Amino acid sequence: MAAAMETDQFPCVLTVQVPFPTARLASVALQSLQVDKELPPASDANTTGDQDKTLHVEYRATTNRMLRVAVNSFMESLNLVIEVMEHLDADVLAAEAHST
Amino acid sequence: MAPLYALGCEGSANKLGIGVISHDPATNKTKILSNIRHTFVSPPGTGFLPKDTAAHHRAHFVSVAREALRAWAPPLTSVAVAARTLSLLWGLDLVGVNHCVGHIEMGRVITGADNPVVLYVSGGNTQVIAYAEQRYRIFGETLDIAVGNCIDRFARTLAIPNDPFPGYNVEQLAKKAFFEPDGATEREPVLLDLPYAVKGMDCSFSGILGAADLLAAQMRKQDALLASGGSLKEGEERITPEDLCFTLQETVFAMLVEITERAMAHVGSKQVLVVGGVGCNERLQEMMGLMARDRGGSVYATDERFCIDNGIMIGLAGLLAWETGFRTPFEDSTCTQRFRTDEVHIKWRSD
Repeated sequence: MAAAMETDQFPCVLTVQVPFPTARLASVALQSLQVDKELPPASDANTTGDQDKTLHVEYRATTNRMLRVAVNSFMESLNLVIEVMEHLDADVLAAEAHST
Repeated sequence: MAPLYALGCEGSANKLGIGVISHDPATNKTKILSNIRHTFVSPPGTGFLPKDTAAHHRAHFVSVAREALRAWAPPLTSVAVAARTLSLLWGLDLVGVNHCVGHIEMGRVITGADNPVVLYVSGGNTQVIAYAEQRYRIFGETLDIAVGNCIDRFARTLAIPNDPFPGYNVEQLAKKAFFEPDGATEREPVLLDLPYAVKGMDCSFSGILGAADLLAAQMRKQDALLASGGSLKEGEERITPEDLCFTLQETVFAMLVEITERAMAHVGSKQVLVVGGVGCNERLQEMMGLMARDRGGSVYATDERFCIDNGIMIGLAGLLAWETGFRTPFEDSTCTQRFRTDEVHIKWRSD
């Protein structure tokens, strides 16, 4: 019942699944991204990080346009998080220090 | 106890700053290990939009962070996302910092001013602040736009370059008002008529910007008239960009000096510390110095490495808070533009 009402209110839904190499990185991404409030406010994000290294994000919005804005913004932040992991994770820096 | 280290991440306006700073609680010595900044410069006549600025910060975060580390071995939210990721990857505490408190603590460390009245002037803020009982208290502030915003937007009106930053180019033009167009013969600059808007301890800049824009429009009409072979009306003053910049600076800086002087008289302080991006304007420092000297005191200011937004000021204020046991829980690590200077408990000062 509650789910049906939610679907009425937010008919536009998009689910994004992002696989990470380790559960640790998936959890870091989840925690880094879920703190900020979603924009625009009408969109409703539901983020869950599971044990199996995959970040699941479900976006629900009132219009497709709002859905696109919310998902675009998520993708931009996700891109930054992955870039930080790729170049600034402790083991990456340690390996570089070792090789130079 | 060994020195403590902090990595500061700053991105509240068009500057992305990341730096590493250390503080030794035993000796109270501060050491800057790196201070890297990358500025988003928009084309002449335009301002920096949040969307483009956020994209800039995302694009440069990793390279700026790597540069900051190498040295020793909307925009703010983008930086917060990356700071959170680093905190988790490295297993380090996250400490949220009030931007203005970062400016004040950096200014105190660099200049050695122990308990000054602080004038905080930037593109987003204009406040006169004095410390009392573990708070930086706001004595006066702008009622509308920040003084730096007023200057930046006037630079857009004149369509002068935003590189390295608009206020710098306004300052250089204002200096040229003391010379004829040949650049050698000295002249008396013309102080044009602009409103002067001090209201008690507060001031207002939007009306001044409007009036300056009108004078600039009048100047363009004169340009067109003279170009088409016409001549000015008798007694009409020829307006130049140099005199306009000179007039704008003299007017708004006089207002800032007035409210700062009143705060100094009120709290009985002889030191004035100027922080924030506008604080590296040498004319503002000079005018503030004249006032402070009359009161038997002096002005403390820093150069653009420290007064323009940077990462180490965030690192320093974060370290000082961390040493007193302050931590920002992960779920509270959001950003807001409505975080006032006087909301922060300055637990690290006991005077």
